[in-house]
Amino acid sequence: MFGRSRSWVGGGHGKASRSIHSLDHLKYMYHVLTKNTTVTDHNRNLLVETIRSITEILIWGDQNDSSVFDFFLEKNMFVFFLNILRQKSGRYVCVQLLQTLNILFENISHETSLYYLLSNNYVNSIIVHKFDFSDEEIMAYYISFLKTLSLKLNNHTVHFFYNEHMNDFALYTEAIKFFNHPESMVRIAVRTITLNVYKVSLDNQPMLHYIRDKTAVPYFSNLVWFIGSHVIELDNCVQTDEEHRNRGKLSDLVAEHLDHLHYLNDILIINCEFLNDVLTDHLLNRLFLPLYVYSLVNQDKGGERPKISLQVSLYLLSQVFLIIHYAPLVNSLAEVILNGDLSVFSSKAEQDVQKNSAKSSIRCFIKPTETLERSLEINKQKGKKRVQKRPNYKNVGEEDEEERQSEDTQDDLDKTKSTEASSKGIRTSSENEEIEMVIMERCKLSELSISAVTEQNTTDEEKSAAASGSEITNWNRPFLDMVYNALDCAEDDYYALFVLCLLYAMSHNKGIDPVKLERIQLPAQHAEERNSYNHVLAEGLIRIMNYAAQPDGKIRLATLELGCLLLKQLVFSKNGSIIKDVHLACLEGAREESVHLLRRFYKGEEIFLDMFEDEYRSMTIKPMNVEYLMMDASILLPPTGTPLTGIDFVKRLPCGDVERTQRAIRVFFMLRSLSLHLQGEPETQLPLTREEDLIKTDDVLDLNNSDLIACTVITKDGGQVQRFLAVDIYQMSLVEPDVARLGWGVVKFAGLLQDMQVTGVEDDSRALNIIIHKPASSPHSKPFPILQATFVFSDHIRCIIAKQRLAKGRIQARRMKMQRIAALLDLPVQPSNEVMGFGHSSAAASQHLPFRFYDHARRGSSDPTVQRSVFASVDKVPGFAVAQCINQHHPSPLSSPSPSSGSGSTGRCDSVAASSASTPSVAQSPSDDSSAPEQPRTTISGQMTLTDETLSAVSKSSKNAVKNSDIETANLSPSLIPAQQPTISLISDDNTDALSVESLTLVPPVDSHSIRTFSCIPQPSLQSELEVCKVKEREEECSD
Amino acid sequence: MEAIWLYQFRLIVIGDSTVGKSCLIRRFTEGRFAQISDPTVGVDFFSRLVEIEPGKRIKLQIWDTAGQESITRAYYRNSVGGLLLFDITNRRSFQNVHEWLEETKVHVQPYQIVFVLVGHKCDLDTQRQVTRHEAEKLAAAYGMKYIETSARDAINVEKAFTDLTRDIYELVKRGEISIQEGWEGVKSGFVPNVVHSSEEVVKSDRRCLC
Repeated sequence: MFGRSRSWVGGGHGKASRSIHSLDHLKYMYHVLTKNTTVTDHNRNLLVETIRSITEILIWGDQNDSSVFDFFLEKNMFVFFLNILRQKSGRYVCVQLLQTLNILFENISHETSLYYLLSNNYVNSIIVHKFDFSDEEIMAYYISFLKTLSLKLNNHTVHFFYNEHMNDFALYTEAIKFFNHPESMVRIAVRTITLNVYKVSLDNQPMLHYIRDKTAVPYFSNLVWFIGSHVIELDNCVQTDEEHRNRGKLSDLVAEHLDHLHYLNDILIINCEFLNDVLTDHLLNRLFLPLYVYSLVNQDKGGERPKISLQVSLYLLSQVFLIIHYAPLVNSLAEVILNGDLSVFSSKAEQDVQKNSAKSSIRCFIKPTETLERSLEINKQKGKKRVQKRPNYKNVGEEDEEERQSEDTQDDLDKTKSTEASSKGIRTSSENEEIEMVIMERCKLSELSISAVTEQNTTDEEKSAAASGSEITNWNRPFLDMVYNALDCAEDDYYALFVLCLLYAMSHNKGIDPVKLERIQLPAQHAEERNSYNHVLAEGLIRIMNYAAQPDGKIRLATLELGCLLLKQLVFSKNGSIIKDVHLACLEGAREESVHLLRRFYKGEEIFLDMFEDEYRSMTIKPMNVEYLMMDASILLPPTGTPLTGIDFVKRLPCGDVERTQRAIRVFFMLRSLSLHLQGEPETQLPLTREEDLIKTDDVLDLNNSDLIACTVITKDGGQVQRFLAVDIYQMSLVEPDVARLGWGVVKFAGLLQDMQVTGVEDDSRALNIIIHKPASSPHSKPFPILQATFVFSDHIRCIIAKQRLAKGRIQARRMKMQRIAALLDLPVQPSNEVMGFGHSSAAASQHLPFRFYDHARRGSSDPTVQRSVFASVDKVPGFAVAQCINQHHPSPLSSPSPSSGSGSTGRCDSVAASSASTPSVAQSPSDDSSAPEQPRTTISGQMTLTDETLSAVSKSSKNAVKNSDIETANLSPSLIPAQQPTISLISDDNTDALSVESLTLVPPVDSHSIRTFSCIPQPSLQSELEVCKVKEREEECSD
Repeated sequence: MEAIWLYQFRLIVIGDSTVGKSCLIRRFTEGRFAQISDPTVGVDFFSRLVEIEPGKRIKLQIWDTAGQESITRAYYRNSVGGLLLFDITNRRSFQNVHEWLEETKVHVQPYQIVFVLVGHKCDLDTQRQVTRHEAEKLAAAYGMKYIETSARDAINVEKAFTDLTRDIYELVKRGEISIQEGWEGVKSGFVPNVVHSSEEVVKSDRRCLC
């Protein structure tokens, strides 16, 4: 036998070279089947091959020759398949058969071919066949087969599956029996199948009634119980957690809950009213209210009702509101949370219509009294019996009277049943009938309850409208109270984060009636005009911000960001902010605190600038996504500080100094942005580098009077171009001459100086290697080099000049930014000092950027000295001598841009003198300058304290003096003390505020008179300095 | 008759639509249905044995989520590895690789999935929009391997799956991925001989902390 089958396979293929796909071949296959009706070890392979071949022919026939289907049908070939299945022929044959059928149905494209295959109920016979589902693979192929079939469902094909007269819908009922299968893929498939069925049922009333009346309650009640059981497990996982050990399990359970919610939402958005009523009823009264909401207030252990912990309850409710947007469901749920009290759980119905209708006896999280399988079994039997009595639900209207009576009796029965809870006794057929009626009644009632809820809303709305503006007193809203209480984060923000998420989710839920939110004066996302807001909430939020700005604040960044979002939403009406002055003042206080906090971390170190900009970038690129936040199970565990948990930085507390700095920076950004937003002011200072301020490729610049160095740029891939190198205030650029205008250049490349690395080339003194990185756009990606090239200059002198200029430019650019940060923090701006070649920043700017930051008009109006000095600088193109000078006096001026102690402060100190005495002309010419600091360095170093005191006195008297500057000084690290030098106040002017930062960005022409007058403050120690400078200036004038 | 395998790995195949996910799977499972002329044969579920070393066989399981309503976390979470496909003739699908990884990350955290980046349709080299070099760079940045395949010409299809299987096997052997109760990503199976039994029994509470 075996031999024969082998030879057949071979022979078959031999023949098949003519036509494997043909009716003749199918006939031959039929012949094989008739000869092998009994499955044996010997013909097993043959049979499997035969079935496969038949499948192939059918798929081929679907496209090419429908006569094969005629034959297939005529000979009832499906019977052979069934026959093989029923012989307990072992898993091998089962798996192969199911796989083959799967492929067959998946690949049939013609509707008529499908009808052929589905006719005679054979497919249903296969569906109800008792496979060995303990075998994983059989299970997988089986459920995939059902899924494939469900995808083929439509108005016509559904009749092959749903038998109206027999009340039979095997595809659906067999599938839902696996709704709680341990294998998650099976559960996913079941969900897909049910969704496909529900979609089709919309157009098929009898089927819809069947699904609702016979299956909806058993299925949904079991599903809800299944979800609830997972929730209890999840809660258990949170409560028993030690040291975050349960996180893996926890995240699995959270993922499970999310999948469930998405599935429920998928059902609800099919928008099949019949089903939605039943589902909503079950979800609300069997799960969300009795388990989630109930747990909000009853945190004491014990009691009969199952409970979950507060954080889990808040977390899960947030997820519900984030995912489910079905109005009747979310409104009823929000109503209870925002306005309900415990009476919704008491079994005694009161005069209230809503409570009466809701049949409070049902509001309990209890296990369905029977398994889904059993319920389906019972319903099926009953359906058969009742066919004559009441063929379908459509006739209900005629029997209305009769039904109402039965309803009443049934009500009582239902109550006693649930109070007894354990009534798992033998189910009589009369009880079974009740189940059916309960559903119908409940559907009506839930409709009623919804309308009742809306009615109640309006009355309550009036009440709240009356109470609006004033403190809402003597309410009894335990759930809402609990929510507000959880907002308190004196200890930590464990619960507060969830409360914020919940409020956010509610107010952003599309299904929620804005009236509901008005109840707590929390506007929906696009609320209308109003003039009051929820003070309790606002104050809670502001308190969070206050805590966040404290040095030891236990507020996570996510909490703060969400708090800011909510506050904006809360106090913003259509026409702008309606925040009360007192609240704004508190908020400003918090902002001020955040500035103070950040000042503690402000350091002259290079890394601070990078961190500052990096944090800004990551905050703007990745704004808070609440949905993602609420997917993360890690926030369910108590807030932790250690990054070793792998928890994202914003969702935990900072660890170590670097993270504390990062946190302080972010708190500062958030509160600053919030404050500006609420006051309707635009952000003008951040980011430090604005795209629009930068030179871009293809910009055409006036380069007259600019320092340009010709070079050959050799890129990594060997490309060579001639370019002129120009150094701007923040950028270096490579330009080529503009053909249209003499002296103008077209930018071919521009890159930030601050991200540049310059290194010499070992064996070529005329060349430099230059790399400019683009800062990483996301924390995952590496910094990406936008320029990586060798620059070759005409001689080694030019090369050194270029190197110096770039290196200084880099330091200068960074320093400028540091000064702007200092200005943002209301710290006195440090003058730039170490870089000899640049000296005063305004001079440096004017030297390097005449073409961009100065328009001609402005320059024309500026002080003649400045004008002159610009030209002076141009005339004095720093040559080799400059570099030499610097090398002599400062062996490594570039490598120590911001010394923080010791000799550094000496350097700073002399710069105090230099800057306070400087006129624009002092610094702009490095060659002149080089000798000047040499002298004061020794003279002044000992007098630092004195200088400092005088200067801080000056700063106090000046308009933009920092409050409590003395206290601040005490808090600052030693490296920061020189920062007290009031450079800004030196440029004494009326609009110092504007100047404080503008002067750094736009480098307005400094009125040298005002500087001189100011610098004439009698100061013995500085006097000599001044002398030196003045002498120098004179010299310069002479040389000009 | 029963297949004897050391482990069972569950894999996912993700990537933009039209990159040829089902074609690739089909090609891998082919041999049986080579003659089916319809190019759109989908595979809903399949399992296949792969021999990574003589005598060491691994069972691969792939569930397709075709027809799925919404993304289910369970789909990602219960997989140990995956093929991340893009179409070398479709730049967009390459750019979306990052999105796919991010999405996966959100769904599987705190765990990880071992991915191999697959540049599909490499038979269409003339219409190539993504160079091998940049794909390799991207793969390296995410710590993935890169391989170019063609389902049409059966280039590297087998290799893509076996390489991935081998990598996962190494991680399992080193204990970096471990079998866990209730997790369907890796299961230990029938042991062909006694020698291996010690490896399988080890059950740890962590499968992959990243």
